[in-house]
Amino acid sequence: MEVELLEIRDFLAEHPPFDHLSEETLNKLIPEITIRYLRRGRDFPPADGDLSALYIVRQGAISLYDKRKKLIGKLSEGDLHSQHCIVTDSKAHQGEAMEDTLLYSLPCSLIENLRQESAEFHNFFENRDGKRLKQALSRISGDTLGTSTMMSTKVSDIIERRPVCIEQEHTIREAAVKMTEERVSSLLVTSEGSLSGILTDKDFRTRCVAAGLDGGQPVSDIMSSSISHIDGNVSAFDALMTMTQAGFHHLPVIEDGDLKGMLTVSDLVRQESTSAVYLAGRVRKARNLDELIEASRKLPELQLCLVNAGGTAQHVGNAVTAVTDAFTLRLLQLAEERLGPPPVPYAWVAGGSQARMEQSSHSDQDNGLIISNDMKPEDDEYFEALARYVCDGLNACGYIYCPGNVMATNPEWRQTQKVWEGYFNKWIKTPEPMALMLSSVFFDLRMVYGEAELLESIRKKMLKQTQENGIFLAFMTGNALKHRPPLGFFRDFVLVHDGEHNNTLDLKHTGIVPIIDLARIYSLAEGIPQIRTIDRLVHAGETPSLSSEGSANLLDAFEFIGTLRIRHQATQIRNGEKADNFMPPENLSKLEREHLKDAFRVISTMQETLGSRYQAGRLA
Amino acid sequence: MFGRFLSAEKRRQQLLGKAPEGPVRDYLAHPFPDDRQGILDTVIVSMDFETTGLDTQKDDILSIGYVELQHGAIRLAGATHIYLEAQQAIPEASAVIHRITDDMAADAGKPLSAIMTEMLDYLKGKVILAHHADIERTFLQKACKELWGFAPIFPMIDTLELARQWFDRRNMHFSPHELRLFNLRDRYGLPRYPAHNALTDALSTAELFLAQMDYIGDAHKLRLKQFLVRGK
Repeated sequence: MEVELLEIRDFLAEHPPFDHLSEETLNKLIPEITIRYLRRGRDFPPADGDLSALYIVRQGAISLYDKRKKLIGKLSEGDLHSQHCIVTDSKAHQGEAMEDTLLYSLPCSLIENLRQESAEFHNFFENRDGKRLKQALSRISGDTLGTSTMMSTKVSDIIERRPVCIEQEHTIREAAVKMTEERVSSLLVTSEGSLSGILTDKDFRTRCVAAGLDGGQPVSDIMSSSISHIDGNVSAFDALMTMTQAGFHHLPVIEDGDLKGMLTVSDLVRQESTSAVYLAGRVRKARNLDELIEASRKLPELQLCLVNAGGTAQHVGNAVTAVTDAFTLRLLQLAEERLGPPPVPYAWVAGGSQARMEQSSHSDQDNGLIISNDMKPEDDEYFEALARYVCDGLNACGYIYCPGNVMATNPEWRQTQKVWEGYFNKWIKTPEPMALMLSSVFFDLRMVYGEAELLESIRKKMLKQTQENGIFLAFMTGNALKHRPPLGFFRDFVLVHDGEHNNTLDLKHTGIVPIIDLARIYSLAEGIPQIRTIDRLVHAGETPSLSSEGSANLLDAFEFIGTLRIRHQATQIRNGEKADNFMPPENLSKLEREHLKDAFRVISTMQETLGSRYQAGRLA
Repeated sequence: MFGRFLSAEKRRQQLLGKAPEGPVRDYLAHPFPDDRQGILDTVIVSMDFETTGLDTQKDDILSIGYVELQHGAIRLAGATHIYLEAQQAIPEASAVIHRITDDMAADAGKPLSAIMTEMLDYLKGKVILAHHADIERTFLQKACKELWGFAPIFPMIDTLELARQWFDRRNMHFSPHELRLFNLRDRYGLPRYPAHNALTDALSTAELFLAQMDYIGDAHKLRLKQFLVRGK
């Protein structure tokens, strides 16, 4: 037979997982196909059809229902129905042709053979949604839009040269000579062979010459001691994050206990996309608001650079938030310079995505002030001025005012520790719609600047209360379940629960927010103080709220959807468009749709588990 | 003359007596499928020819494509596509349509006698399905006559005829244009295939037949007799 004459082969070759098969294998596959036709309204699978077969929709549409006749998915051209061959997490009970449908079927035994032969094929039919998602994730973080992948490059691979060291007893002059001879701008300082500090060009300027120190003094007098170091095995991207957050320009590299060299910002510059380090650095050095505003012009490019460098949602979220924190911090310092030291201690706290370190592109502000209980009524004048300066400054830098007025300028959110404790007490004891709306902001608070203890003691009391309050958790759950993931895709539409189709996929509200909400509830139920969603999910694993498998699956789903989102936004920014969360389904590959469906199923399963745990249906 | 009123099986028995020894006689010696048997149980061979033209007196078969169906399912396992040795230069007018050139026929083509011997053996106990079956029947009979001096009859189902009956029964007005394979497939929501390849057209016809059966409904109750082309 000359199967190449049949365009069935071309059809299969365009659809995963068959697109991974060689021409030869495909040709051998075609004779195994059986073709059937279902008129609209007929049952699927065909009444007398083979129940040990994989079905492929060639043309038409099939709706699938569970035992309670609830729609669980729709199949259209190129979609597979594999549950007879593979044990899956979710199983359709019955189906119906919604249009006249032409079906291809292949025997399960053949699929099994192909799974043995092809890894791609095997992975596609991996029976657990979670496992498939994990594989998808390793694929998307591996392939990148740009050329360089800082994710896959190890720190030890990018440092320029062998370590240049000097023992700390040597003189400053000897160190200067060595640096000149070796043509380096920094030295690793050792004490009996192990690292005791670093010495940079700047130290000669600020700590030696400017301080009038003699060149005969030992190096230890001017070096920076108690410095951190980084493991040579971590990715260049993680090193970038560490340097951005801490503001380091030099980091000793240690691998298996051995000093390997010095990682400098210029090593990372060569790996491109160091904008986060530089931007945070510029922000820290800004002398006034105008210089901050000037630095903020670089913000839109930041996400793009990070995505190009192979960053996942987590990396981008951390880096973007680190820069936001830097802006906030610098504005607070400038405010204190103007207004003088605060009359009593305070904590500037961020809420929402900044608190969770999950910001992407431009976010609006969510912040508040927790002030020491020692505050006197007249002190508020100071804090009001401080809040005004910072919030106005952030707005001028592109972090627009919070539309819901959740800002320290609002007297309601500029209160003493005691008042804040009262707020939480009230929200937890008598959950009401307003409190639930604010929960995504206020149950995710993180201190950006000030007196950490002010927030921590509130959090401790709050978590103790939430753990003991089932009704509050039930309300939170009911509220969280308002954002449901879609069922999947149908042609170039998003299929939602009532069988309706949407033109775009709202990655934020149907994918990311539901996971953030779940993680928050787990942490409130289990007294987990962490704020970042991934940290909450990690810590919630193996608690009564969440199995370790559920935790791993949610982490993967969060990272997968999040990464699709930041890449979508990066594309928009590159095209000069405004970044949003709406992904047109036609921009997703067939495989990405499959993986998204897995992610949606993971979310949906966890939502149902949580819902039945708190019987949220009754309270929502 | 009387042949029109006899069942195909009866006429087969008559012809068997007259047929000369050889592949045609061997074919006729095998009983036709019982026309009271269920349509789903019948082994049906969907068939299409590409020819040098539509004049059965002058033109020849260039390629044959066929695929088998039974129990409401098409099995690609038996799908076959054969080029025939050209008996005449391929007219440009037809080469444009089916894209079979003299070189292809010369390189891959098999002699008509070998193909027809194989076909007659393969068709024993089966029913042929074609769209506008007259063409396939006439070319088959002409080939047998040329090779062995005797033309058998073939039990056949014609998707064009079934479509015509469907329209007639519903008193629906239709133009000949609507009976074309391509347009009928559209009507039943079947995908568009590139036309004029014998195997693809055989498959197209087989899929159309599945659709027609499903639209009639209760296929498990239908007998072969309701589908057979009568009296030819």
